[in-house]
Amino acid sequence: MGDLNELGAKKLANLIIAKKASAKEVVMDCIERIDERDPDVGVFQYFDADYALDQARALDNGPAKGALHGVPLGIKDIIDTKDMPTGNGSRIYPDRQPISDASCVALSREAGAVILGKTVTTEFAYFFPGKTKNPHNLGHTTGGSSMGSAAGAADQMFPIGFGSQTAASVTRPAAYCGTIGYKATTGDFDLQGVCGLASSYDTLGFLCRELEDISLMREVLIGDAPKAPREADTSLRIGFVRTPWWDQADQATQHVLECTAEKLAKEGAEVDELLLPHGFAELADAHKLVMSFDAARARAYEYVNHPDKLSPQFTALMEEGQRISYEEYRQAQVQSVECRGQLSELMSGYDVLLAPSAPGEAPEGHEATGDPLFSRMWTLLHVPSVTLPVDKGPLGLPIGVQVVGAVHEDSTLISDAEWIYDRLK
Amino acid sequence: MVDLTHLGVREAADAIKSGETSAQELVQAHLDWIYAREDKIGAFEYLDPDNVIEQTRRLDNGPCLGPLHGVPIGIKDTYDTFDMPTAYGSPLYKGNRPKADASMVALCRAAGAVIIGKTVTTEFAYWSPGKTRNPRNLDHTPGGSSSGSAAAVADNMLPVAFGSQTAASVIRPAAFCGVYGYKVTRGGFDTRGLSPLAPTMDSPGIFTRSLDDICLLRSVLVNDDPKPEPRPSESTLRVGLVRTVHWDEADAATRDIVEDSANRLADNGAVVTEPEMPGQFQYLAEIQNTIMAFEIARGFTSEYINHRDNLSQTFCEIIEIGLSTSYEDYVSAITLADRCRVEFSSVFEDIDVILAPSTVGEAPAGIDATGDPLFSRMWTLMHMPSLHLPIGSGPNGLPVGVQVMGQHHADNNLVVDGQWIWDRLV
Repeated sequence: MGDLNELGAKKLANLIIAKKASAKEVVMDCIERIDERDPDVGVFQYFDADYALDQARALDNGPAKGALHGVPLGIKDIIDTKDMPTGNGSRIYPDRQPISDASCVALSREAGAVILGKTVTTEFAYFFPGKTKNPHNLGHTTGGSSMGSAAGAADQMFPIGFGSQTAASVTRPAAYCGTIGYKATTGDFDLQGVCGLASSYDTLGFLCRELEDISLMREVLIGDAPKAPREADTSLRIGFVRTPWWDQADQATQHVLECTAEKLAKEGAEVDELLLPHGFAELADAHKLVMSFDAARARAYEYVNHPDKLSPQFTALMEEGQRISYEEYRQAQVQSVECRGQLSELMSGYDVLLAPSAPGEAPEGHEATGDPLFSRMWTLLHVPSVTLPVDKGPLGLPIGVQVVGAVHEDSTLISDAEWIYDRLK
Repeated sequence: MVDLTHLGVREAADAIKSGETSAQELVQAHLDWIYAREDKIGAFEYLDPDNVIEQTRRLDNGPCLGPLHGVPIGIKDTYDTFDMPTAYGSPLYKGNRPKADASMVALCRAAGAVIIGKTVTTEFAYWSPGKTRNPRNLDHTPGGSSSGSAAAVADNMLPVAFGSQTAASVIRPAAFCGVYGYKVTRGGFDTRGLSPLAPTMDSPGIFTRSLDDICLLRSVLVNDDPKPEPRPSESTLRVGLVRTVHWDEADAATRDIVEDSANRLADNGAVVTEPEMPGQFQYLAEIQNTIMAFEIARGFTSEYINHRDNLSQTFCEIIEIGLSTSYEDYVSAITLADRCRVEFSSVFEDIDVILAPSTVGEAPAGIDATGDPLFSRMWTLMHMPSLHLPIGSGPNGLPVGVQVMGQHHADNNLVVDGQWIWDRLV
């Protein structure tokens, strides 16, 4: 053994259930990888190797608990854990110890997961970055906000990292770190115990290396059964959406998207270019407006009581939100509802949509986490999204493509993404 | 001298601003009344007069913080407060000390409000009741889940208090206690720090004794107009009377008051119609329960697994229903509700507000249950803002009223229309 950390969650669970590996062996391989790499990459906000091993030993000595028996998970540090501090990436809460698990953690534990540790997040899952570096090039950002979970999954420290997305906080770090990122249909996963940023959009997601692991998590959290693989004789209908911001994607990204569309067409998919109706071009701005309005309410306590411990970025977001009138907010929300309705009609002609994940490769430096532009609209629309790492750019850093499904059709999206990924790998 | 406990929020804030009274004097008057009545009513889960007086002293000695400067407010014990324990109505969280205020609490404090205490809630805002009694008749339930907040405002212990609604937890206690109850458009107020029950429906609400106060609170919470213009006299209010498929489950007095209200509004110049409801409307009350059960089961996994002995039987039952609901059934329910919501936007092309029963009847006798949530389930699921208007009393001498609903995010319009209606009914 010695390389169990390279396997996906489903494969690990199968090995453990078949007694071909123990939870302890799995966790030890992860710890070895973490010891070797984490001093450079900085994935963990909190990590206690002995405690992780204690959990694994207890699982090895007990009956099989469920579908995640012995599988180690990295939990973004805005998600409450009853046995590990949860700082929400903020200087206000360095040692905050929740009294219970977030529901997604509780359900995972009940299914036998080992909670390996807490992964680095930006401040309150917004822009101010934590310490994590891009495992493909330590001089570059991982993207945010789910930075530790993305880098840890990409760098094989754990098979699944929990993340969350309000703008682009799963999709962008997944694309930058070259791993799979999945953001659920908004509302599908319960958010009890997850620190909110903007309640109109906050959604849980996963960073992982195998698409089947997303289905596994959906089964554990909401009892959704995975869809069977696509049948060979039905062709996948793909809507290629350049989005209104296509010009802001760099050449390499545009090239990867166009090649992907061509390749999938050659493989038998029906690929059409889908031009979104005019109003959709305003959705990135509507997203910004609603997010800042919501955040200004959600973090009112911190703004009043701990202004000196908020970053300039976060303070600016709050103050922007405070300036917005309710009428402006209402208009943005009403427009969003209309566009959601339009999209759901448009999507009846397609199985999935194909779009850019980010404007380019991970930018250099660690002062910022890159531009969320290419996810704002999709997050506003509440649709599920999967980012697939499909290529590298001129800097040798990963470039992903985003595959978007219909609301609550997450399991179809995952099965279609499997079909796509198999043809691009 | 006016009785300070009879003032509304805006009146109290104005009295402080003009120097007629101070925060300390105003709040002390409320505290005195609370002490006189609390033994009987049991509205409070937590009340610390020293903390309250300290808050008022700071306010009296400082600059005016905002539109709520010096006004006491009651907070349902499902909202986090950094300086008062928050137990969510559950023995599991007895003594729980949150690190931060819920966003709605923080925004009120920033606007100068005095957080007077935590009001009684049912267990996790579901069904298992607390100790509160109905101030109109102590042998009757105040309704739930926002039991303490409704009772406290009805009894003049406070001019305003926060509640929250997932099925009927604002409208029903407002109706049973005879005060205004307002449930916001779902998503209209931030719910950070409010203990979730079923997140796709959970909506904060406010109890007041003046409709105008709701707009003042909205200005503090979401920067909406603090004093919208009243309805112009020349414009005709279009009222859609919706009896719902559950009409026969309302008692005779309730049906009478709804029909009588519709007639009187028509007499006063409103156009009253009975609009056709979306095709699947009849299933919404049942679907609300399916969605609620599924979401409660996910949200309370940790409590259910680790502390089942400390959960009530009714709470365990709803979790078990939720656990046995398939994702497919849940999504069918969510999808049906989404479709109905879209259809309602065309219903509102022809009407301004919906008029419907608030509850099946007056507050039932006994405090072991909080009454039937039936007549709010569908509206909460539709995410509409809703108001309870107290307009009279029933055969048992307990309050009755009507429920009025408006369009998403047009909450101030609803309050303005609600005022027009109330003025013509009372």
